Amino acid sequence: MKNRMKEYRARLGLTQEKLAEIVGVRRETIIYLEKGKYNPSLKLAYSIARALEAGIEDIFILDGD
Amino acid sequence: MKTRCTLIAYAIISVLGLMMLLSRENVYVVLALIIGFLLLGHRELWSLIRYRRLPIIDERVKDNLTSAMRLTGVFFFIASIVLILMMRFNVFKDTPTALIISGQLVIVGIVYVVGYHYYDRVRPNLGERATRWLKMCLITAGLSLSTIALAIVLHNLVSAWFGFEEAFFFILGLLVAPAVLAASLLGSLVIYIKGLGASFRGVEQV
Repeated sequence: MKNRMKEYRARLGLTQEKLAEIVGVRRETIIYLEKGKYNPSLKLAYSIARALEAGIEDIFILDGD
Repeated sequence: MKTRCTLIAYAIISVLGLMMLLSRENVYVVLALIIGFLLLGHRELWSLIRYRRLPIIDERVKDNLTSAMRLTGVFFFIASIVLILMMRFNVFKDTPTALIISGQLVIVGIVYVVGYHYYDRVRPNLGERATRWLKMCLITAGLSLSTIALAIVLHNLVSAWFGFEEAFFFILGLLVAPAVLAASLLGSLVIYIKGLGASFRGVEQV
């Protein structure tokens, strides 16, 4: 699964640490998510989308879509 | 809150256990427990010292913890069977039982830490090919370790039954299997360190 987290995060001027604090995860988890090395649960994906003020489908893109 | 309570409960039980064992003069077990506590709680202790709070346990960490605990449990079970077998056949003749159990506890602690770091940092940074090689090396290491234990037991059995010094299992257990074990462990270590190094380089990027 690909994602556009970094792009949306930069748009809002959030650091990885700040985003991690908002969604209640570790900064390393944000790093792995942005690199596509970890697939989030639906709950976490929803929290991230809400923190980045976008829809889940705007941020997380399934391979092949 | 749940984690904090668990940690406090674990610390109280450990202190009580240590006091009881110290009173019975089982110094090796006490040492093993202290080392095990430091190994298992190193992340929490580091976070408490550096940030004055316990680390967040998010879903990724929970997944990694579960996997590492499962791996440690399986290892502990297999190691216990091998140890019982070896003790049954007097492989550790003059070694105190407390020392053997301490050694086992320390190794189990190390397996947990190595396993946790594997799931947490190494695996996401390994390609498919490296993961396949690592698996192969670890399976070979496990098989050669079992071969060493089995060869020692069989050597003792055959020698006792037939009344002469048996050579095949002796060479297999003391030369061939240890060499294979060393090679496979070295291979695993190289792949592991490569993955860990890549992880540390990546995590620094913000």
